[in-house]
Amino acid sequence: MADLNVRSDSVDVEQIMRQIRARIREKRGVDYTEAEVQQLAGVKLEKFLDPRGVRSDLVEQFKKHRIVSPAPKNYEFEDTTLYETHRGLLRLARKLLNPILKLFFNPNKIVAALHIQAEVNAEYHRRFRQREELDPLFYEVIHNLVIECTRLGVEVHNLKMRVESLGSRLDFDERRGRSLESVVQYRRAAPNNERGQGEQRGPGEMRSPGEQRSPGEMRSPGEMRSPGEMRSPGEMRSPGEQRSPGEMRGPGDQRGPGEGGGRRRRRRRRRRPGQTMGDQQRGPGEMRGPAEMRGPGDARSSGDAGGPAESGDGDHSDSDHGAPDQ
Amino acid sequence: MKLAVVVQRYGADISGGAELHARYIAERLSRHAEVEVLTTCARDYITWKNELPAGTETVRNVRVRRFPVARPRDVDDFGRRSNTVFEQTHSIHDEIGWLESEGPASPALVRHIASVRDAFDFFVFFSYRYYHVWHGMREVPAKAVLVPTAERDPAVGLTIFGPLFRAARAVMFNSLEERALITGVSRREGPGVVVGVGSAIPDRTQPWRFRKKFNVKHPFAIYIGRIDANKGCAELFSFFERYAVMYPQGVDLVLVGSKVLPIPTHPRIRHVGFLSDEDKFDALAAADVLIMPSQYESLSMVALEAWALGKPVLANGRCDVLRGQCIRSNGGLYYESFEEFAEALYTLDATGPIGAVLGGNGQEFFRRHYTWPVIERKYTDMFDRLKREPATPAIDPLPGFFARRRRDRPPARQVVDALPSGPVVR
Repeated sequence: MADLNVRSDSVDVEQIMRQIRARIREKRGVDYTEAEVQQLAGVKLEKFLDPRGVRSDLVEQFKKHRIVSPAPKNYEFEDTTLYETHRGLLRLARKLLNPILKLFFNPNKIVAALHIQAEVNAEYHRRFRQREELDPLFYEVIHNLVIECTRLGVEVHNLKMRVESLGSRLDFDERRGRSLESVVQYRRAAPNNERGQGEQRGPGEMRSPGEQRSPGEMRSPGEMRSPGEMRSPGEMRSPGEQRSPGEMRGPGDQRGPGEGGGRRRRRRRRRRPGQTMGDQQRGPGEMRGPAEMRGPGDARSSGDAGGPAESGDGDHSDSDHGAPDQ
Repeated sequence: MKLAVVVQRYGADISGGAELHARYIAERLSRHAEVEVLTTCARDYITWKNELPAGTETVRNVRVRRFPVARPRDVDDFGRRSNTVFEQTHSIHDEIGWLESEGPASPALVRHIASVRDAFDFFVFFSYRYYHVWHGMREVPAKAVLVPTAERDPAVGLTIFGPLFRAARAVMFNSLEERALITGVSRREGPGVVVGVGSAIPDRTQPWRFRKKFNVKHPFAIYIGRIDANKGCAELFSFFERYAVMYPQGVDLVLVGSKVLPIPTHPRIRHVGFLSDEDKFDALAAADVLIMPSQYESLSMVALEAWALGKPVLANGRCDVLRGQCIRSNGGLYYESFEEFAEALYTLDATGPIGAVLGGNGQEFFRRHYTWPVIERKYTDMFDRLKREPATPAIDPLPGFFARRRRDRPPARQVVDALPSGPVVR
């Protein structure tokens, strides 16, 4: 990932914006527009699994609005149906004249067709009723499916939010660390060493007050320090020496007001409202300009643990780590 | 020297952008000349209803003469006419009808300008798009100094304003982008200078007072202004809600100003209402960054105030003026999408590496261009120059009766879209 890498002494807004856009492109992978991303997101989740659209009373609503359809009119059609009448004389006349009627067309075919149609109507009505009786079951199944889908959708949404949140936190920490490192690299070495003038060093480690180390400068074995490295017993500091928050202190070490002697605690550096990170990096009486920061190979990092002579309780795991805090 | 400042509304409690701009200029120029403000009795910029008494009064040591508005604005009629002239082929008659409908139509004010044209050396007209400027400048073109406060909206593309821009003795622009816009639309060649406006920046601010008074504990970005969709606040809310999900430990959002748009209920969005100047500057000093989401700005005074206090600005990159100022000052970032908004806001907050540096650049930019001595000198230099130079010819006359009604004017939006856009970097 391309980190934001801007020199504080020559800021160019257009360059920063180019870096921001490059970082966005890298994050996104494919350079979708905002509208395209919105469209994709909308199609995948909200269209089908919008929890706001779920009706928890689906079955009740169905029952409320359920209308059982009345049976349609039907008829029975037999071979005598065409000639039926409640008037006996008329029925007799029709029977007598039936052979004459059959001279013109064949009514038996019509009678047969209508008979079949009546049976078909009855059969369909029976099946329709069966279907209506099954509908509540289908609704119940669909209702349960919708609830399950919605629950899953909400769960997926929540998980996605958590992943995004974790990702952004991780990104925040990583970039913040890197940008701080970048800022530190830009600072020129301080004219005065961060160590106190009267600081005692171990053999072979004595430097003049204005002495500086370049970031890549090699140290002698007794002099090399990495973050967390122990200090040799000969490296006692003077009482007035300024320390970074992460340094371990000895039992007789002077502490500022409010600092309990030998008390094990993890001190978190919290940024006060209105305080910049630059302010936070400085000690209370240590306000410096940006150009006065020391290089990483020179400044004692806050994770630079002191030796046993400075360590109050000897438990390094409980000392201040001085790691950048949120 | 006697100056008349002509503006649509005026008052100590009227805080619209152009109106506040006019008041500041009138008050500052009154140290160098005899200034009288000519304005209307309106207080509300939508209805233009006569709410203040006609006649003269003194506002902060400046003499103000008010004239009644003939009729309040009919919002529906204005909307219909706006649609006609902005979106359709139309006539000059339609454009004049639109201007009348927009208001504040005050023939009494125009008559007064005509009657006192010899009593003043110059008339400083504010806001090109209103009735009083178009009619007033036609009465005194040889003495008219225009402060157009033009934004890149369709109104600037109406053909009736071209002669106006060309006829002004001098134009006091708010930004390089505004000058490019007006030069592009009118082919103006006369005197003009980019001035802008200063602000009443207090000598000392007390951010902790704001935090204590409003119980604001976390680092925050601030928006100051009317909370309105036209100012880009709807997009701001949408973007910020998403930003809050992405950056759980990022800055909060504090809103200062009167509410027109509903504000979403969100634990990290806080509305503190309309504030006094003292509280406003304390809030600005307490903020990590100022957000300016508006797309249409001729000059953002609040952005200048943020820079004056050493705060970086995050501006809407679709606004050429704000984007240009951010680039020229190196005092702020801009965004055109949510991703850019989130990344830029993350970069600018106080934990980021460059927010303070950009704020410092902005402070230097403000000191160099927008402090009151600089502004006053630009105005007085321009008046001196105009006194020395001969007056330009009169304003172009309107076409005849039938020519005015010929529907051959292109849609104003089309005219504006055809103009070159983008920030002026150099």
